[in-house]
Amino acid sequence: MLSTLYAVLFYVATILLIVGTGMKVLKYAKTPAPLKIPVSPAPRTKKGVVLRMGREVTLFQSLFKSNRWIWIFAILFHYGMLLVLLRHLRYFTQPVWWWVELVQPFGVYAGFIMVAGLAGLLFRRIFVNRIRYISSPSDYLMLLLIIGIGVTGLGMKFLMPVDILAVKTFFLGLMRFEINPLPMHFGLLLHLGLVAILMIIFPISKLMHAPGLFFAPSRTQVDNAREFRHLSAWAAQLPPLPEAIPDAEEK
Amino acid sequence: MKRLFATFLLLIGLIGSMAQAGEDATSSLYPVIPKAAGAPHPEGNDFMRINHKNLLKHDRDLTMRLGDREVKYSLKECIACHAVNGPDAQPVSVKSEKHFCRVCHDYAAVKVDCFQCHNSKPDPDLVKQLTMLPVKDRELAEYLEGASQ
Repeated sequence: MLSTLYAVLFYVATILLIVGTGMKVLKYAKTPAPLKIPVSPAPRTKKGVVLRMGREVTLFQSLFKSNRWIWIFAILFHYGMLLVLLRHLRYFTQPVWWWVELVQPFGVYAGFIMVAGLAGLLFRRIFVNRIRYISSPSDYLMLLLIIGIGVTGLGMKFLMPVDILAVKTFFLGLMRFEINPLPMHFGLLLHLGLVAILMIIFPISKLMHAPGLFFAPSRTQVDNAREFRHLSAWAAQLPPLPEAIPDAEEK
Repeated sequence: MKRLFATFLLLIGLIGSMAQAGEDATSSLYPVIPKAAGAPHPEGNDFMRINHKNLLKHDRDLTMRLGDREVKYSLKECIACHAVNGPDAQPVSVKSEKHFCRVCHDYAAVKVDCFQCHNSKPDPDLVKQLTMLPVKDRELAEYLEGASQ
């Protein structure tokens, strides 16, 4: 019964995550960016922008330049989570890809690193006065939610092991539209429940900074306003100025 | 909103009916775990599936460092009952995908370190001792052996 409930939960969560995120990304893509506003120093070629975005995505360059110790926690968390997510691919692939097998032992350590990074970011929200002043409940919620997922995951690894064969069969089954029993294990149900909540609120949360970064005109624009006139799409559609209006110089 | 709710209800109904269809047999997605030869574990298979790694903590740690001289579980005995025979009717080593340990460990992508040092093939004498006689008879044999001494 609870297995069925969790199956429904994950189908709903997956649909909401994909459709919700897709709709938001569509909205971002449609939102006009009428002005040329790359943050300088900005690259003057398209290739330069690609490199800049690459550094931004992989190294968090702008965060590095603005705040070094937040950058340390952010890097720890994001790269820890990357390895942990890659490690979890073993539950969704059969046979498991060779490089996922290779990642397994590193993913375990990455779990601790990820939680440590999140703890650092949480301490920042609580103990840095000006940050606490601007922190909203949702900022705390996101941190606590992901910390909860990390801690229950590590708990299952080290304190209260669970039958992961059954867990894998459950998720392989979901991908083939069949429901298999999920082990009735408190830690597992909590872990999966929190993950489902995260998936559901992802599209309406600040976590949308992940796709949002690619639509930030201050980072994605080429700094070539001197070489080419910047004309936004809606401005290009305006009718030409009537002849009767004289140019400023002729007055 | 109403339409969304109706869609959810429909989805739940569909999945519910799916669950009933799939309940009768163990899933084909679950690995096929080879049957063992000896007496079943008193702790039960579910316990063993989760905790065997702790029971197999190395004697180096348990006996040599912590001084426990009565380690109940031995890898040798696991291997003896859980031997899987290859096409040549001989027990396969861990190099074969059919090896008992590998069936699940491959499925879960968990590396087995044991066999870097230990033998993954059973000791024939131990196999005989553990599997030829049922439990009652084995106890009797041990008793007789003791009595004869």
